[in-house]
Amino acid sequence: MMTGESPLGLVLLEMALLVLLGPLVTGIIQKLKARLQCRQGAGVLQPYRDLAKLFRKGTVQADTASGFFWWIPVLVLAATVAAGALVPVVRAGPSAFPLGDALMLLGLLALARFLTAVGALDAGGAFGGMGASREMTIAPLVEPVLMMVVFSTAVAAGTTELGALAAQRGTSWILDWHAADFLGFAAMLVLLPSETGRIPVDNPDTHLELTMLHEGMLLEHSGPGLGCMALASHTRQIVTLGLVSALFFPVAADGADATGLLLGAGAFAAKILVLATYLALVESSYAKLRLFRVPQYLAIGFVCALTALALRIL
Amino acid sequence: MSAESVYTIVDDLGALLLFTMILILAAGQIYRAIYAVAAQSLLIAIAGGVLATATGNVDLWVIAGVTLGVKAMVLPWVLLWVVRRMNVRREVEPVIPVAATLTLAVMVVVMSFHVSASLGSVRHAITGNALPVGIALTLLGVLVMATRKTALHQMVGLFASENGIFFTAMAVTQGMPLIIEIGVILDVILAVLVMAIMVLRVRSTVDADIASLDRLRG
Amino acid sequence: MAETLLWVLPLVPTVTALAMLTTGDRRILSAIDVGSSAVLVALTLLLAREVEAGGPRSLGVFRVDDLGLVFLLLLVVLTLAVSIYTVGWLRQAVAVGNMKAESLRSYFALVHAFVATMVVTVLADNLGVLWIAMEGTTITSAVLVGYHGHRHGLEAAWKYIIVTTIGISFGLFGTVLVYAAAADVMGGAGTMSWSAIMEVAPTLDPGIVRIGFIFVMIGYGTKAGLAPMHLWLPDAHSQAPTPVSALLSGVLIKCALLAIIRFQTIAAAACGPAFAEEVLLVFGLISVVVATPFILAQRDLKRLLGYHSVEHVGIVALGLGFGGAVGTYGALLHVVNHGVTKALAFFAAGTAIARYGSRDMRAIRGLFAVAPIGATFLMLAALSLAGVPPFSIFVSELLVLRGGIGHAHWVAIAIFLVMVVVIFAGLLHHAGAMAFGEPAAAAGREPEAWSPLLAMMLLAAIMVLLGLTIPASVDGLLRRATEVVIG
Repeated sequence: MMTGESPLGLVLLEMALLVLLGPLVTGIIQKLKARLQCRQGAGVLQPYRDLAKLFRKGTVQADTASGFFWWIPVLVLAATVAAGALVPVVRAGPSAFPLGDALMLLGLLALARFLTAVGALDAGGAFGGMGASREMTIAPLVEPVLMMVVFSTAVAAGTTELGALAAQRGTSWILDWHAADFLGFAAMLVLLPSETGRIPVDNPDTHLELTMLHEGMLLEHSGPGLGCMALASHTRQIVTLGLVSALFFPVAADGADATGLLLGAGAFAAKILVLATYLALVESSYAKLRLFRVPQYLAIGFVCALTALALRIL
Repeated sequence: MSAESVYTIVDDLGALLLFTMILILAAGQIYRAIYAVAAQSLLIAIAGGVLATATGNVDLWVIAGVTLGVKAMVLPWVLLWVVRRMNVRREVEPVIPVAATLTLAVMVVVMSFHVSASLGSVRHAITGNALPVGIALTLLGVLVMATRKTALHQMVGLFASENGIFFTAMAVTQGMPLIIEIGVILDVILAVLVMAIMVLRVRSTVDADIASLDRLRG
Repeated sequence: MAETLLWVLPLVPTVTALAMLTTGDRRILSAIDVGSSAVLVALTLLLAREVEAGGPRSLGVFRVDDLGLVFLLLLVVLTLAVSIYTVGWLRQAVAVGNMKAESLRSYFALVHAFVATMVVTVLADNLGVLWIAMEGTTITSAVLVGYHGHRHGLEAAWKYIIVTTIGISFGLFGTVLVYAAAADVMGGAGTMSWSAIMEVAPTLDPGIVRIGFIFVMIGYGTKAGLAPMHLWLPDAHSQAPTPVSALLSGVLIKCALLAIIRFQTIAAAACGPAFAEEVLLVFGLISVVVATPFILAQRDLKRLLGYHSVEHVGIVALGLGFGGAVGTYGALLHVVNHGVTKALAFFAAGTAIARYGSRDMRAIRGLFAVAPIGATFLMLAALSLAGVPPFSIFVSELLVLRGGIGHAHWVAIAIFLVMVVVIFAGLLHHAGAMAFGEPAAAAGREPEAWSPLLAMMLLAAIMVLLGLTIPASVDGLLRRATEVVIG
């Protein structure tokens, strides 16, 4: 994996890679869950087929939706993909031009969430309103914690730029973790199901009206619009996993150009796979929490992150 | 291993101990709390082993082994046995909301780190961040006991407090005298047995949880 | 000679406890009980003479100095009184059904195990052994508190064991911190021996010792019954069987105070006496102030005595907090006086409660008419507890007061005086209502048993003696003990 500054081309390549591989990760998680439940499950490439199907279909839009509603899926996808550009995939080092740091990434993801909720409210349906309000109940608990975790790792590096943070993580692993990193990692593990919309916070496979959070906000979209939203949630998932691996997992060893790239890509794939397995295991082991218990669950992550920050500063 | 790496490992274990403490505070079901405190005792035993290799103090090996056997295995097993005998209800509501408990916990952690930071010379008397983590665990154990109404939760809080004390005691350079640590563990075992008997006795005669009896007032 | 006594003294009650398990006959058990306590008193007097002649003695983890002797003498005298009292009390309790005849042997065994752990607490030089013995006292006495087996007793026993165990864990933490400070200074393996730590005490890091002392204060203070950690005390002392209550209130909380004093001397040497004294002052004042309203509003006789113990432990802490020779002497004298008087009060209360079948003070009326001697002792005890001269508590309270005046703690003195006056009024009112008047119909009319009266007479004699004059040997002992504390 290359350290040092990365050119624009590489950044764009990484961004495209993330978008393309996002659905694959979802497919892997679904397959793992199916296997853990002793069924065959759909193929790993099923999300791609679903996306293709959606993009071929026509759009049906509610009468009550405004003109802005058509723009929502596009903007959400754009924000999420832009966030993807900030994640170091094969590079470990700041990009050659000012791109944005971890806070920008979190801001873009928050923007995407906000736009989704606005879209859900815009259509005026009951399910949209419910889903939006529930999602927004969880958001204020999740986003500050993410920022605190980023800060606790950034304090040591002196910068919040993700590439620099990844480079600073170095080539060794657990023994190099500061005490606060354990707590920060625990906080991230607690938050991952929330950011990716999985059990125990939200059930991605359900369409029962009382149990939907994220899905509730997508109900009004159809056709290519829905395809964009689905692609955005796949990308969001892989971006979050990439954030965690950049902050906490080591980059692969330094190498020359082509082999270094391949090695870096392979290491990235391995790290994402580990986190995906974690998500699948959590989804298979626990039940979805009732909505008013979710803040208690997230509070654990909150306290871990706060303690991590305190351990760094004190 | 070098002094630096010992500090780091002790620091890391301290962070993990704080994590288990958070789990105990946030645990809704008694099973989770018992498993968390067993994991905590396991971490203490590991800390003992690490410190034993670092300082070359053979006593610490014995203490680590006894902690592993007694506090990580036997005592949690006793608690689980009592839970099964009691047919206890799964969910336990704490006296104050979990969020408030966790906020207090963070304040306690910050305060203990602040207090130990003001003691300059403590770093070479007690390795790593064992002192602030020890203070935090002891106080948080009391917090668990104060915010829970069931006897078993209170006993878990007691264990957690004792873990905090043990962690600090082990990290004192050269460790505490062996006979004292063994005596302490024996006392803890006896106390737990007496408590378990009391809990079961009240359960069988009165069919209430002993910690929620509150007739004596004023 | 003295060194042998050091390990024989804890051994006697231990052997007795085991011997108790062999037989079930009440008479034999009581005989062993009284005999063993008498032996204990005799051995302690021997030890006292040795120490008076030759100074402190030590053997391994045990060490006896004048300070420890004060507490040890209190312990053994009260044990003897309790043993004598139990003879008559037990007969009545078995007859009524409060105590089961089959479980008598375990009761006696536990009592003597309890006494053995307390002896170790007083004699321990090693701070870790002190802690282990203290936890041992908690475990044995918790079983004794719940001995009657009914719901209130179990509730009290649970609160007692949970709160005091967590409390003395804090004490263990403080011990660890002091040990760490000592290890830091001495290099290599530190020591847990109090005498060894005292030698290097001035060089200990004051920051660590300060935090350690606060933990010890909260920890062993819980066991001593200082407010605001006192919540277990009224429950435990009132629900326990009367002889056990006498031991708990009379001796056990004093043993915890001894532990605090040991740490106080270390803290005074390391950080200067002012810090420890301030902490003691604060806790003492809080205890005195918190206990008073509960004493006034109390209905349950034994619960009232429990709160009263909180009050007087607060007064001892005040005396130690005022500091100086006078304050400390007064505090130590108060330890003895209160122990003796409180045990007497519990004995009298116990016989009265047994006679009337109720602990409610409104139900106990006209005691003089049905049990004149017992009523006399009850009035004597109440007068003494209220601080009336010429009884012993008046003397020690006066000394504590003088200590405070000497150090110009005017606010503390003012609060102290107000509380004492209030309690004086309250206690006299309660005691008078119980002793005089027409006897209630439920009063038992049987003649008074001789053994409880004998025990009460013994204690009353000591109480009056110490109130009128302090014998030279006792005075010398207290003076030397004060020197140990002040250094």
